[in-house]
Amino acid sequence: MRAFSQMMALALMAAGAAAPAWADPIAVSVGDKGCEPMQLTVPAGKVQFMITNASSRVLEWEILEGVMIVAEQEKILPGFVQRLNVTLKAGEYAMTCGLLSNPKGVIRVTGAEVTGALDPMALVGPVAEYKVWVKAEADALVAATASFTEAVKAGDVARARALYAPARVSYERIEPIAELFSDLDASMDARADDWELREKDPGFSGFHKLEYDLFATGDVTGSGPAADRLLADARDLQGRILGLTLPPAVVVGGAAALIEEVAGSKISGEEDRYSHTDLSDFAANIEGAQKIVTLLNPLIAPRDADLLARISASLAEVTAVLDSYRLGDAYKPYTDLTEADRRALEARIAALAEDLALVPGLLGLQAS
Amino acid sequence: MTTRRSLLLGLGGALALAEAVCPARAAPPAVLDWRGPHQAGIATPPTPFAIFAAFDLLAQDRADLREALRLLSDEIATQTVPGPIPQGDDPLMPPPDNGLLGEGRAGQRLSVTVSLGASVFDDRFGLAARRPRELTAMERFPNDAIDPDLAHGDLMLQISADTREAVLHALRAIVRRTGRVLVPRWQIEGFLPARPAAPAEATPRNMLGFKDGTSNIDRDDAAAMDRLVWVPPGSEPAWTAGGSYQVVRLIRNLVERWDRTQLAAQEAIMGRHRLSGAPLGKTEEHDTPDMALLPDKAHIRLANPRQPESAANLILRRGYNYARGLDRAGRMDMGLIFVSYQASLDAGFRAVQARLNGEPLEEYVKPFGGGYFFALPGLGSQDHLGQTLLD
Repeated sequence: MRAFSQMMALALMAAGAAAPAWADPIAVSVGDKGCEPMQLTVPAGKVQFMITNASSRVLEWEILEGVMIVAEQEKILPGFVQRLNVTLKAGEYAMTCGLLSNPKGVIRVTGAEVTGALDPMALVGPVAEYKVWVKAEADALVAATASFTEAVKAGDVARARALYAPARVSYERIEPIAELFSDLDASMDARADDWELREKDPGFSGFHKLEYDLFATGDVTGSGPAADRLLADARDLQGRILGLTLPPAVVVGGAAALIEEVAGSKISGEEDRYSHTDLSDFAANIEGAQKIVTLLNPLIAPRDADLLARISASLAEVTAVLDSYRLGDAYKPYTDLTEADRRALEARIAALAEDLALVPGLLGLQAS
Repeated sequence: MTTRRSLLLGLGGALALAEAVCPARAAPPAVLDWRGPHQAGIATPPTPFAIFAAFDLLAQDRADLREALRLLSDEIATQTVPGPIPQGDDPLMPPPDNGLLGEGRAGQRLSVTVSLGASVFDDRFGLAARRPRELTAMERFPNDAIDPDLAHGDLMLQISADTREAVLHALRAIVRRTGRVLVPRWQIEGFLPARPAAPAEATPRNMLGFKDGTSNIDRDDAAAMDRLVWVPPGSEPAWTAGGSYQVVRLIRNLVERWDRTQLAAQEAIMGRHRLSGAPLGKTEEHDTPDMALLPDKAHIRLANPRQPESAANLILRRGYNYARGLDRAGRMDMGLIFVSYQASLDAGFRAVQARLNGEPLEEYVKPFGGGYFFALPGLGSQDHLGQTLLD
């Protein structure tokens, strides 16, 4: 136990510049008769104590919650100063002040900041609600894909073109979940670059193959098999989602994953390169992220209200920018955006990605 | 032909002389031997800089191919040893050398490793029957998005040296000299830490910030190299003995996204602690991984499960980092030039990659180029590299 806490202390020191920012250290001096001061009030969260051994004996300094040792600093030699980093929840704690016969001091920790691992039960509600939403999106995906592929198979190019972007919306909203099934993701959403012969590669199938046929060549006479396969894949996905237990880490990490989708492949206009309907995908990814953030709001707010405010503001800002590109039910072609427009979106998305990446850790979850 | 051979031997003499003149030169030697049973650049320690340059052969027949390999052998003999650089004596003529190194070459541990792609063994040169048995064009793996402009090729040169100038000098000299028979197809430059900052950093870090190559084959272990890296006599076409299958994979790292990933997730994906390089739950880089402490899909577990049956799958990695500016979306384009050498492509790279397919790391990496090649055996008693293939 001791070796472990020393190891942790070492690990904290070794973290150096990368360590989280600690607030100003709280000074405590321990003399032969007691602590100076005997009462401390500190805000909840990460606290650094700077303990001076002003007594004539080797000192062991502890923070106690009832009889439990919350943190301790061992073997401070007389005249020496040691630092102790600890994360404290709101409440009242005791601190030892040298000899066991000395009275204990009091540390009052104020504020609502909650840190560390979340009660796993706290996520049950949001995850369950998210699953209901994902199922509804999967149903919508199947319906939209059915209309789209039907138009493709009927050879109605104009109608199929109009249905292409709407068919993708639900898929893009639940992309972190859809991507859990990598075989279906590859089959449904692979881009021509994933294949060495590009558009001519026999492996090229899915949404983008049909997009190519509709928008680049306008020839859908050979698109039937790809259309059938896409619809079958969508139904397969719907069925698999029904039986899926959503890992909380995937749900919580999903918001960041969706923004990474935008940053990674949508900003460049590579995703829908034949139809230029990228903004529709883009908006769907943002909607998916917004859904997760909204569900997690009550959990994020008490832990880091500033972070939540930044995330909400960024999402609202990006949504407003996207709305400005709306044309009725659809969006302007991505090619209408200037380089400056794209750069501005890119910067907002990067900031959002940085902030959303903090959410799993804030909730004490390890993203998978 | 005898003339050429004497020329090569003569340069060997020059090498001996150069070493005799500088007896105080600290190890490692600045000149690497490629006249033994194996080419330099495989078992020799990685240098800080390298370029991988793929070419297509303009050669129409076997005589042209022989000419290409002769020219290359000649250039290697010239470029790898220290010596004065001819400056030319007629200012109305283009200078004979590109001038990057000024008056002379200093050795710089330059190596030029010549490998051939599967396409050489098509019907152009009548060599189909001599194709190394497992050599094909690189197949597609599930996470690949291979750009055909950055993949495959008839011939691959791995040029590595202590300085970037030495690498680029040699490349330009070779391209200029061989332009009639070799047309450049694609290139990529790689780098490694110039000199370990501290003993703890002896294993180079990749662009993900993790040590890469901790459990590599010991290139000084001749028995392991014979078993795992060099093609043995007997099982393959005779000319291949002493050569090695070479895999080059250009693997983009999605670094912005990686940098925003929590440390615990990064370490779980790799199976190692980032700072120390120790396997998860261990404290020292070279501690043996405890498989019970590794996630099922940790990269190091899949790459090397350390089971008796996976011992035959070990490969000699000799990769480099690359960084080449921004992509079209304004993201930094950097990553790994994965390079491995193995006696068997099937037992080596293909077996390892089959285990890695679908690993969580794929979310952060994208292979976009490279190819399979066969590194020719060393010069030995041949007149030029590849002579036994062509005779």
